Amino acid sequence: MSDLHTTVSTDSTVSIYGDARPELEQTMRMLFEEIEKIRSEMATELGMDPIEHLLGRIKSEDSMREKCRRKGLPETTESALEKIHDAIGLRVVCAFIDDVYTIRDRLLALPHIRLVKEKDYIRHAKPNGYRSFHMIILVDEKIFAEIQLRTISMDTWAALVHHLKYKKEIGANTALISEELKRCADELASTDSSMQTLRDMIRELR
Amino acid sequence: MKILIAEDTADLNRVVTAMLEKFGYDVDSVYDGEAALEQIDRSGYDAVILDIMMPKMDGITALKNMRSRGINIPVLMLTAKAEIDDRVAGLDAGADDYLPKPFAMKELLARVNAMTRRKTKYSGSVVSYADFTLNTETLELSAVNSVRLSMKESELLSLLIQHSGKELPTDFILEHVWRTDDSADSNTVYLYVRYLQRKLEGVGAAAQITGKIGGAYMLTAK
Repeated sequence: MSDLHTTVSTDSTVSIYGDARPELEQTMRMLFEEIEKIRSEMATELGMDPIEHLLGRIKSEDSMREKCRRKGLPETTESALEKIHDAIGLRVVCAFIDDVYTIRDRLLALPHIRLVKEKDYIRHAKPNGYRSFHMIILVDEKIFAEIQLRTISMDTWAALVHHLKYKKEIGANTALISEELKRCADELASTDSSMQTLRDMIRELR
Repeated sequence: MKILIAEDTADLNRVVTAMLEKFGYDVDSVYDGEAALEQIDRSGYDAVILDIMMPKMDGITALKNMRSRGINIPVLMLTAKAEIDDRVAGLDAGADDYLPKPFAMKELLARVNAMTRRKTKYSGSVVSYADFTLNTETLELSAVNSVRLSMKESELLSLLIQHSGKELPTDFILEHVWRTDDSADSNTVYLYVRYLQRKLEGVGAAAQITGKIGGAYMLTAK
């Protein structure tokens, strides 16, 4: 999901998605609509919009071909749609941590959506401090999509680390910098938790 | 171990410095309270010996200034006479110990040793309970996952760990964690308990804090 801006393929003669592109776009639109429905239901219940922002993209031709090569797969439509599961990618960024799980639960409760795989990097943060909830779903038993859900803080951390373009192998102080980036992630996670507690208390007082 | 001594009587300053150096301490000496503060800002110390009566700025004022800025280096006050008011004022201002003049060098050394020993033992300590650990120096709480706590959260959790399995009344917690903060009340304690409950859950710790607002709280393993 690093390539949120779709780029035009250099090999524009044949799309790796074959003639499935309209179907991918249709599925992505449908997912957007479902998330918007969940969003407005929750907004009524909570008295606040649970989603800070919502992004989606069809993986670019170049990225998809590159991913096929990296995984040792032939650059075919079958690889792009069946073997690789993030041709469609959505990112839902929430204000509060509990809403991440509520949106996950409500999406998976929809009859035409089936969970294929999920990774909870919120409860089990990556060693570098990365936090996010990732899931691969299958829509109408046919089209795969990856949905990433996270809080503003988690999104901020990931964005800032991305800006640093920090690679472990470069330069001195590697251990110190890695530890400090992890500490920043853990402090943000702590703040997320405190803000959720405050929201809970405010709602109890109403 | 690095010690700062602020004492305006030149002879005494020199003798104490020489004696501490002889016993392996690295010593800087100054002759007034203002110089003591400047030196503390410039360099790190493991303990400070402060005379009360000094020119420019007295020892109590210098100590209050340090403490108000969160500088928690152990301080031994030297009181001119065995005046009870002086000793009380020094301890109230945040001194860890006091020594009335005249004193025996042996006793001064023993008190400095005791003060620096306490600090070494205290710093960098990792406490654990059930399957989680709390590092009171880095404020890291970790089990399956980790987060960084605030100072007050860490102090409260340390207290709960020290007395795990026992019910701690709100007043007891207020006295130990919010000593000097008059604005803290049972709501504050409750909020911090709630923070910790969620953070323990967030890191996947097999422990819980139970209790109701205004009542007693207890840490137990799940």
